[in-house]
Amino acid sequence: MNEELESELKKLRPVQPSPALVSRIERVLADGGTSGSKVIWPERFRVNWLGLGLGLAAAATFLILARIDFRPTEKTKQTNVSATPSLQQRAAALPNYQATGLTQVVYRQHDEGLVFPPGAEGPSRRVRTAKRETLRWRDQQSGAQLAVSYPTEEVTLIPVSGQ
Amino acid sequence: MENVATHEDWKVCFSELAPGLVLFARQWVRSPADADDVVQEAFVRFWRRNLSIKNRALLYAAVRSAALDLIRRDNRRARREVEVFGEAERTVQPQFEQLDDSQRALVAALDRLPRDQREVLVMKIWNELTFAEIAEALGISQNTAASRYRYGLAALKKTFQPQ
Repeated sequence: MNEELESELKKLRPVQPSPALVSRIERVLADGGTSGSKVIWPERFRVNWLGLGLGLAAAATFLILARIDFRPTEKTKQTNVSATPSLQQRAAALPNYQATGLTQVVYRQHDEGLVFPPGAEGPSRRVRTAKRETLRWRDQQSGAQLAVSYPTEEVTLIPVSGQ
Repeated sequence: MENVATHEDWKVCFSELAPGLVLFARQWVRSPADADDVVQEAFVRFWRRNLSIKNRALLYAAVRSAALDLIRRDNRRARREVEVFGEAERTVQPQFEQLDDSQRALVAALDRLPRDQREVLVMKIWNELTFAEIAEALGISQNTAASRYRYGLAALKKTFQPQ
């Protein structure tokens, strides 16, 4: 029965390859390795080098004409500096303000275990503490208040003695 | 393996194998144009590597690999292939020449086989590969290849009765 079925199957003949495929293969074989790439792709897979080249040229021309300079200029540097004044600058700008208080809120403390600091006689326990500090000032003339709050992190080395 | 085949040998080789190769490629890509591309890419790749013209297992492995590469090339295309393949699996038949009613029924039955059985049948019947070559091309054991072939024939027998 198998032979009979196999015989029936063998009577089916696959269609011949398309003339385009045969032609492409013959061209590749005839090329014989003289070209860089022997694969001849159909038109739909070809890169439009002319279009790509024109696009790149247009982009280069735009950059040249627009004179785009990505380096920071003196003007932008000054702007950046003046945008973030230091505390001294702020204090100078507010001569009547007087510090009235400092609050420290510890919100995380983590014991990182024993460490051996260079130059120390014995081991220490390193404790990392995360805090939020708030500084307050008061204007003595108008009574206005100013508060600045910022996170801080403190690492403390606590010497331990061996037992 | 040193390849001493001439240009004419490769042409003859391609003309002999092309119908079976295209049929084999169409197990994965149902579009004849895609099958042509797959066969071209695989054949040229095989030829460029100077592999022995007689090593058909590697040639079929190259076709299979090229077909899978084509499907994976982009996700949208893969999804579309899977959708088309899923819908077409039971309706689109492999391309055979001059089918009568009985042969059309046989092809329809063949088309309903699981893909792993069908590819072994295609390689064995229309490409005349040995089980050793099929096993090498598909990366399976010879016993598995032979089993898939037997299961494929058995499944065909259930749905097709020779007249």
